Amino acid sequence: MKKESVAMLLAGGQGSRLYALTQNVAKPAVPFGGKYRIIDFPLSNCVNSGVDTVGVLTQYQPLELNVYLGNGEPWDLDRANGGLHSLAPYTLAGEQGSWYKGTANAIYQNIGFIDQYDPEYVFVLSGDNISKMDYREMLKVHKANNAAATISVLTVTMDEAKRFGIMNVRDDDSIYEFEEKPAQPKSNLASMGVYCFTWSKLRKYLIEDEADPTSSNDFGKNIIPNMLNAGETMMVYRFDGYWKDVGTINSLWDANMDILDPNGDLSVFDKEWPLWARNPIRPPHTIREHAKVQHSFISSGCDIDGDVFNSIISDSVTIGAGATVKCSVLMPGVTVAPGAVVEYAILAEEVTIGAGAHIGSEQVYDDPNKKVAVIGKGISIAPGAVVEAGAMIYPEKKGGDK
Amino acid sequence: MLTNLHAIIFTNQKSYNLGELTDFRSMSSVPYGGRYRLIDFMLSNCANAGVSNVALVLQENYQSLLDHVESGKDWDLARKKGGLRLLPPFSQKAGARDPRGRMESLINLGNYVHEIKQDYVLLADGDLVANIDLEKVFAAHIESGADVTPIVSTSYHGQPLATNYFVPMEDGTMDVLHNPDDAQGYEALNVYIMSKQFLSDTVKYCKSHNLYSLVNHVLLPRRNEIKIVPYIFEGYAARFTSVSDYFKDSMEIMKKEVIADLFTIERPVFSKDRTDASTYYAPTSSVKNSVVADGCIIEGTVENSIIFRNVKIGKGAVVKNCILMKDTEVGENSIISFIIADKGSTMTPNTSLAASKLYPLILAKNSTI
Repeated sequence: MKKESVAMLLAGGQGSRLYALTQNVAKPAVPFGGKYRIIDFPLSNCVNSGVDTVGVLTQYQPLELNVYLGNGEPWDLDRANGGLHSLAPYTLAGEQGSWYKGTANAIYQNIGFIDQYDPEYVFVLSGDNISKMDYREMLKVHKANNAAATISVLTVTMDEAKRFGIMNVRDDDSIYEFEEKPAQPKSNLASMGVYCFTWSKLRKYLIEDEADPTSSNDFGKNIIPNMLNAGETMMVYRFDGYWKDVGTINSLWDANMDILDPNGDLSVFDKEWPLWARNPIRPPHTIREHAKVQHSFISSGCDIDGDVFNSIISDSVTIGAGATVKCSVLMPGVTVAPGAVVEYAILAEEVTIGAGAHIGSEQVYDDPNKKVAVIGKGISIAPGAVVEAGAMIYPEKKGGDK
Repeated sequence: MLTNLHAIIFTNQKSYNLGELTDFRSMSSVPYGGRYRLIDFMLSNCANAGVSNVALVLQENYQSLLDHVESGKDWDLARKKGGLRLLPPFSQKAGARDPRGRMESLINLGNYVHEIKQDYVLLADGDLVANIDLEKVFAAHIESGADVTPIVSTSYHGQPLATNYFVPMEDGTMDVLHNPDDAQGYEALNVYIMSKQFLSDTVKYCKSHNLYSLVNHVLLPRRNEIKIVPYIFEGYAARFTSVSDYFKDSMEIMKKEVIADLFTIERPVFSKDRTDASTYYAPTSSVKNSVVADGCIIEGTVENSIIFRNVKIGKGAVVKNCILMKDTEVGENSIISFIIADKGSTMTPNTSLAASKLYPLILAKNSTI
């Protein structure tokens, strides 16, 4: 059945700079903000924007992500017509087909999926940004200009612009040039990895790109420049809400701290823009006799008897008496034994911190280069052990000096 | 997997007095434990044992319960085959009185009981808080060859005047006591397993003899011919027959052993799914000895309390020994103790409200103080 728009969510990224957190799981499935996974943000944006047909392109370590997505019910995307579909690379007769070679190839391989809905527009979304964004606003700009493509951009400083894909625009916000990480930026409009295309146009460029053996089959490197060179109308959509690419440990930590602010742009208590997620089946949490909890999130199934400051505590976490957790992110199932100290750290799922152990150390809260300690899924830190600031501990690299 | 068992849950026990809490909802949909309705426990017991045919016998005030269970999907009971069945009074004559007992409720269902396809039936009240492994109970029922297996508790002590007891006699039979003055023997949790044939015959017998009570009219007078073998449940159990019971027993959930017993990883307690954020504790908050659900914003002081979802407690507010249900708002600098605030209650700033442990005060749904 025909849909006005279909969203394609790129969720196959490995997230190599988050290594200890993405060893066995795709980056979009990394827990975030106490109750969520990163992918809940673009998925909630789709649903809240009225987009009810979403293809999730998976590739790297998809098991946990696919289990999490299930039939799409938590996002109200279990639909008879449309809904959520997980799209893995596949092969054709005669051993044709391949892994997704690049972002554009991932969409190319799923032209058939999109064609089922005969859409006017296709949103191509990054599965690893934290943002609350109404895609309808971008679509308005797209339609008003009769554009072939509209690219969401964020205004950054000229210094930051050197790290982004930068859109150089005319006075009417139409794009004349795209530069990836320019040494001398001409503009401060950074691409957010959120695109709106007129499907008939994009379809044509995807097919042409696939036929070019020298192409990297990437949106930024190939599709966008090709469309520009052909003289297509391409617009920027200036987004002024919250957006963060959580590609590094520090940006992931920052975004977690940002979501703690109940009055901030990323507030989880915003009734106008609810965040949907698959919830674990756990009872309410218990705060016990010795606990002191301030400026923190505590989630279901937790048992808290220690001190918690400035931290995100996901579900099923136990923090013993006399333990201190400060400026840290604890993912589901973490246990912090009595007397342990965790500061400026990210502890992945099911991590156990032994009694009296000390993880991380005091940092300057606003320092962009602060050292956040990271402990990978399921690791146990021995009682009394010390893990220094900025250390990254994962199964092949046991750590913690006595 | 108890695929050969059909569960029938009675949702509105009328002999109890929970005051305003049951003015507009059935007993089974009374909120409990920060995020549950009482029915969640029996539905989860069924779901966790693979019982996929579950009927809810509805009676009066059942809108709240229907809102809660919806299609049954949160208990995995939205099925093509079997699943959750909602049974409003069916063959009750217009103007007829409320059913006087379980048997009359079943008689009112017309042919439902007689057409059950499974060989065994579980009859249970929907107000029991307990995490019961029904597969074990069923195995005991088969092994003992009993006609009726009541689940009984040795640890729970409800009010005798609202309780049935099974007392083993020297000759091997079971004495049955209905609401006696004093507790004796095993305390019934009002959950029974029996064969479908036994139930069907019993319903027919009761209908033709104008009898209505399972305990009084069936088990008690026929105790010498019916083989009754209780199953002793050793876990935590609670039923609420008065407001003070409800208050006192609800608070037990703070005990580690109670929470561990009720909420196991192997047999989770499912409830209506709502995506709530984590609870936010502001820099001004101070919370101790409390059970708190998701989605709350806490800026004040909370002690010895149960806080349901999406509750807001303002700066300078002090909440002690309270049960605050979903969407309650406690305004800044309000001081409250021994209050049971039903859904959506609002305490405006600087309110002072205190009751006592024996007589906690109920604020009716959506009330503003």
